[in-house]
Amino acid sequence: MSEVKNIHQPKADNQTEDKSKTEKLDTNYWRSFKDLFRDTSLIEASNHEFGDGVKDDFEPSKLSGISRRKFLALVGASAALAGAGCSDYRSKGDIIPYNKMPEEITVGKANYYASTSTACSHGCGVLIKTREGRPIKVDGNPDHPVSKGKTCAKCQASILSLYDPERLKFPMRKSRNGGFLKSTWQHVDDEIINALNKIGNKQIAFVSQRIISPTGKKVLDDFVKQYPNTKIYSYELFDEQIRNSAWQKCYGINKFPLISWDKAKVILGLETDFLGTDGNKVETSRLYTQGREVNNLKKFNRLYVAESTLSVTGMNSDYRFRLRPDAQFEFVMCLLNEINKNGISVPGSLPLGGYSLKSFAGKYSLSLKNLKQLVKDLASAKGESVIYAGRTLPENVHIAVNLLNEALGNTALYRTDSIDVDVLPLLKHEEIKELVNDMNAGNVGMIIHYDSNPVFHFPDDLGYKDALKKVPVVVSITGSQNDSSELGNYTLPLSHDFESWGDAKTRTGFYSFQQPVIDPIFSTRQKEAILLTWLKGKPVVFDEMVYHKYLMNNWQNNLYPTFNTKMTFTEFWNAGLHDGIAILEEEPDSFGSFNSSALSELQNAVKASSKYIVVLRESYQAGDGKFLNNGWLLELPHPVSKITWDNYAAVSHNTAKDLGIKSNDMIAIRVGDRKLEIPAFIQPGTADKTITIELGFGRKVVGIVGTGVGFNANVLRSKSAGISPWIYLANNVSKSGSSYHLVATMEHHMFGEALTKDAAQKRKIIQEGTVKEYQKDAHFLNTENPVKMESLYNPHEYPGVKWGMAVDLNKCVGCGDCVVACNAENNIPIVGKDQVAVSREMQWLRVDRYYSGSIDDPVTSNQIMLCQQCDNAPCENVCPVAATTHSPDGLNQMIYNRCVGTRYCSNNCPYKVRRFNFFNYRDHFKDNYQQSHLLSLVYNPEVTVRSRGVMEKCTFCIQRIMEARSNAIEEHRPLKGSDVRTACQDACNTEAIKFGDMNDKDSEFYKKYRTHELGYYVLEDVNTRPNVTYIAKLRNIESEEV
Amino acid sequence: MTKDYSVELALIEGNPPLRELDDLIAAPIDTRPSHKYNIALAITGGLLLIGAICVGLTFYYGIGMWGNNIPVAWAFDITNFVFWVGIGHAGTLISAILYLLRQQWRTGIARFAEAMTIFAVICAGLFPIIHTGRPWLAGYLIPYPNQHGIWPNFISPLVWDVFAVSTYLTVSLVFWYVGLIPDFATLRDRATNKIKKTIYSVFSLGWRHSNRHWKHYEKVYMILAGLATPLVLSVHTVVSWDFAVAVLPGWHSTIFPPYFVAGAIFSGFAMVSTVLIFVRKVFDMEHIITMDHLEKMNKIILLTGSMVGYAYIIEWFMSWYSGTPFELFTTLNRAFGPYGWAYWIMVSCNVFFPQLFWFKKIRRSIPVTLVIVILVNVGMWFERFVIIVSSLSRDFLPSSWHYFTPTLVDFGILFGSFGLFFTLILLFAKSLPVISISEIKGVLQGAQPSHHGDEHDA
Repeated sequence: MSEVKNIHQPKADNQTEDKSKTEKLDTNYWRSFKDLFRDTSLIEASNHEFGDGVKDDFEPSKLSGISRRKFLALVGASAALAGAGCSDYRSKGDIIPYNKMPEEITVGKANYYASTSTACSHGCGVLIKTREGRPIKVDGNPDHPVSKGKTCAKCQASILSLYDPERLKFPMRKSRNGGFLKSTWQHVDDEIINALNKIGNKQIAFVSQRIISPTGKKVLDDFVKQYPNTKIYSYELFDEQIRNSAWQKCYGINKFPLISWDKAKVILGLETDFLGTDGNKVETSRLYTQGREVNNLKKFNRLYVAESTLSVTGMNSDYRFRLRPDAQFEFVMCLLNEINKNGISVPGSLPLGGYSLKSFAGKYSLSLKNLKQLVKDLASAKGESVIYAGRTLPENVHIAVNLLNEALGNTALYRTDSIDVDVLPLLKHEEIKELVNDMNAGNVGMIIHYDSNPVFHFPDDLGYKDALKKVPVVVSITGSQNDSSELGNYTLPLSHDFESWGDAKTRTGFYSFQQPVIDPIFSTRQKEAILLTWLKGKPVVFDEMVYHKYLMNNWQNNLYPTFNTKMTFTEFWNAGLHDGIAILEEEPDSFGSFNSSALSELQNAVKASSKYIVVLRESYQAGDGKFLNNGWLLELPHPVSKITWDNYAAVSHNTAKDLGIKSNDMIAIRVGDRKLEIPAFIQPGTADKTITIELGFGRKVVGIVGTGVGFNANVLRSKSAGISPWIYLANNVSKSGSSYHLVATMEHHMFGEALTKDAAQKRKIIQEGTVKEYQKDAHFLNTENPVKMESLYNPHEYPGVKWGMAVDLNKCVGCGDCVVACNAENNIPIVGKDQVAVSREMQWLRVDRYYSGSIDDPVTSNQIMLCQQCDNAPCENVCPVAATTHSPDGLNQMIYNRCVGTRYCSNNCPYKVRRFNFFNYRDHFKDNYQQSHLLSLVYNPEVTVRSRGVMEKCTFCIQRIMEARSNAIEEHRPLKGSDVRTACQDACNTEAIKFGDMNDKDSEFYKKYRTHELGYYVLEDVNTRPNVTYIAKLRNIESEEV
Repeated sequence: MTKDYSVELALIEGNPPLRELDDLIAAPIDTRPSHKYNIALAITGGLLLIGAICVGLTFYYGIGMWGNNIPVAWAFDITNFVFWVGIGHAGTLISAILYLLRQQWRTGIARFAEAMTIFAVICAGLFPIIHTGRPWLAGYLIPYPNQHGIWPNFISPLVWDVFAVSTYLTVSLVFWYVGLIPDFATLRDRATNKIKKTIYSVFSLGWRHSNRHWKHYEKVYMILAGLATPLVLSVHTVVSWDFAVAVLPGWHSTIFPPYFVAGAIFSGFAMVSTVLIFVRKVFDMEHIITMDHLEKMNKIILLTGSMVGYAYIIEWFMSWYSGTPFELFTTLNRAFGPYGWAYWIMVSCNVFFPQLFWFKKIRRSIPVTLVIVILVNVGMWFERFVIIVSSLSRDFLPSSWHYFTPTLVDFGILFGSFGLFFTLILLFAKSLPVISISEIKGVLQGAQPSHHGDEHDA
């Protein structure tokens, strides 16, 4: 350091110290006098070899004095970054802001609109969640008097149909060579109006499913007025006509009352699945489980079920009898005889003496003890029990059941507050024959398939399909090409419910409204608008608002006045659209007294046959076939068998032995001259010689999702009903030699294997008790663990909220609605049958079904299983990259970006609730189907769409928690447990799922559910400390042990 | 017949001259590959290619190409990993532990066994990478400083695995290379081809067989042997923790570390035997890799096989003694459940057949030995399969139970790993001395100062 020019002056306070240094002279090589005399400034400078300008401790504030070194370093770094870091980055598309900001949309906030679902004909009220103008989720409308904020699986899944890439996008007309050509509305409207005008005296036939819209009915009335030759045929695949006609005979009214299931102490279901498909299950299951309230044992009901094969209702029964459907009549008559013997008088003078319960029990190997218990319960719960016959049973059973209810005074449980309303009564089964005759005679000039699929639904031997060829003009108004539209001349694309206006009247006491939540995505129209356009005649100018105006007009002029409200019409209308419903004071029809002349129907003893009997039931998944292109529903495991993507013939193991078959073997069923080959499945709890098949599968003309799914058992139906239109005696059932592969999400365990028998009970996964046991000792479960288990690691701290769930197994009926709701909320992909076959389904939430007991009379236990968000989560320890971690609010988080996919977490999860993307399922399923731009619109923007190779699982709907949290912060209030509802909880018809804050010791959640004495954790011994409490199911049986 | 046990048996039969040993060991390197060699290489290369295609398919489409499912999220992938790691252990045992114990008979087989260790670890190391769902992110398992401040989860056994296996590979590679240096020098001195000479010169690091060199060499070799010794125990212990640390019945077991180490040595020796039986025949080295070698290895197989058998018995005892229904079920299910067939293959191959080695005749019969060691290899692969797959397929909740069925891609990758292993072996046998030229000279009769000499007696 020879230069001294740059050296700074030393600071004054350093001088004393420096002085002492200068006194300590030593031998020194000096280069200048300053060196020699140890000038302090020089010593100070030697501590900083480089001046300020060349220092390396980078400080941005002093950037002005940038050094040469720093400059070069920065130039180098920027060049390197520009070269390596900013290379061709994956294009994520363009983000385009709103040109004109819609008034009601805040970007990032969901809007909810009330509407009415027409997924089935019950017309439940829904709230549709939309984000930036696109509907993404359907939930129930809490104001709706019937559905009360709940929805079923089909309603949840109907949103997927909105975005089905295979929806019809434009009108089509058939070309000469038989194929369909793209056309325009202008063109087809012109041609159809021409045809209508030239119809002459020939008939115009509308074939429709149940119509629930009063204004829609008015459009049809207008049509009839203009074209008087018009006839409207409305039908449903499953209807209540037999019950209605029985009531006509018994009470003189072609209707039946609703039932106060919540008030019933004893319920006997005969071949009915009122918790599944029979009637409006959303309401019924809610009312039924109000009678399974574990905190109100006095009201606890007892459910007896006699049915051919295990249904959702059967799974929930306390006592179950497996009984072929043609023995139901004898069964009811035996019950009548028994209660008669018990001193309860049965109206009329029926020869009941021949019906002996004892010999009946013997004939069908039923437990006489349980049957006697049933009689005892019915007799002691007079006026508080319900006997309910399934809608597929023949009329005489219904009449006998009415008589039994009458004798027991159960008419007190018939509801008087409301009753089902038919806007347009369904046509009688015989009337369809007339239509076909007319068609064959050439009297029908035009058929309009009014959003219906009669070729698939009508019995084959009716000959509707062939008769269709004799009709010159066949117009099909449908959402997507189906078996009927393909045989027609014109296929007109129908708008989805969520793109349509409308109203609905299904019950007395209220109307509900339907409003569009998105513009029609394609060139589609709603069916009423199509008719109104035709009615205007030429020249055809389509007005998008035509039906909206018509609807408002009809309401203003006809319906609004009936309300007697002080509101102006505009106020009324806006309130109605906002609420989704309009409440009306209405008296339901009343029923007359029991007409004993109906009893003549019961005089003849109907003996059950010993032949094979075929029972056709409604599908849980595909509905009547309408949802056969909906992957969410097809992948929803059957609530009982857990089979997906197929229907099957359920047989008992005795029947299988007789036929020499195993599950998956094809059997040939012959009814009359009609034949069906279908795979058999050995369903525990099935009556012998009974074959149960669900309808709605096996459509020939359907999109790629539904192609090849299931078998069409409609072909077994006949225009001349068997025992009933859904129950037939088979001429012959035989093994057909080939086999098929049914796939299920659960393995089917051998009842006989000692190793696996009752495993769920032995392992305390399922813990149950009986009402008597609970009454005797509330703590019979003994969940207190005597050994305090420690963890190697420090326990987590939960300073704020801590999320937890409680599942009341007394209320869970095992329907699976929550599974579909979870699919919709969390962007869960469809994987397809081939992947379910290798156990790779992606559903985050599943309903586990365990059998115990014997294969003939199994006891069924359901348990929803989802991530238990354990405090000591085994998955967290083993993840090598910390992709699954613990949050301070008790969640076990999954960080998709960090996950490399070792799957170790899944291996170490005792509950096996983690799901792995073995493929990119959006690409893998049906050749890219889920990557369609249209289908992508269904995704919830708050939830990441996971890539392949990534693990995923239930997050307790973290996006909903975060939304609630940000709302709470915005409103300056603490976050409360009740602020968050999970998607499964929202969907659960019976409120079996409770969610809340476990740190909030005053909350209802904590006090009533989390700390319930019946609450237990699954696999407590593993010391995972789950945050899902299961409240043990109580069986209302006589014994003290399950 | 009486035997004088005080006299050490000749390790090399026939006492060949030193020059002849050089020629013999260098012969495969100096000659052009034979027709048979090319056929063998074509077969192993073909297998390797099949494996590469299957791995390519997996990378392109995802793990779904395999039979893995939920609950059986690990199957062939980790089975192969543990199998190959296990194979490596014999090499380290032979080269390090037997060296420290001055078991001079190891000399004839040490080099080969070490090479097999490296190749087996290479095969093994592939599986943790390809088994991940997103292999391009496998680097997340390595701790490296990053702007997010995210580190691997150090309490996860898979991270321990990364350290264990990479340490094992590094130490084995260095140990092997150090042992090769004097041989490279010998080869360099023999080489007439200029290119070969250059290559050998580079790798021999200027070795001149000087006394100083030998002194340093012996020290380094001793230290490395000392370093490698704990690895024999630690690597497979860490691998066993992948299972033992989990809560799964059938995995959660304290016996796993010793049981896995014994199993690893067992399978490793079986693999070394399998390969050496062919090598000594093909390369005319029957007098260097002698019957005595094979017999000694068979004895170790007998010992470790019995240890493994003992572990199987203890598993039964523990599952009963633990009192947990899950453990008991898993053990019963292994033997009598859907994967019972695999269990009984495992038991018969690993416990029953090796017991035949109690008979000297069988120990010294090459065909019978070959059959048994191959069966041991099969059995040990099945052991890992049984532990992994049968435990996973039926765990806690019966609702999630599912059977695992492998796909063709699974088999393709399994065979591909054998293809890789044997391709590397063949390339090794043709390019490097399969027996240590320098060490083997040290165990010739008369090469060592005798401990029975007069001077030492006093």
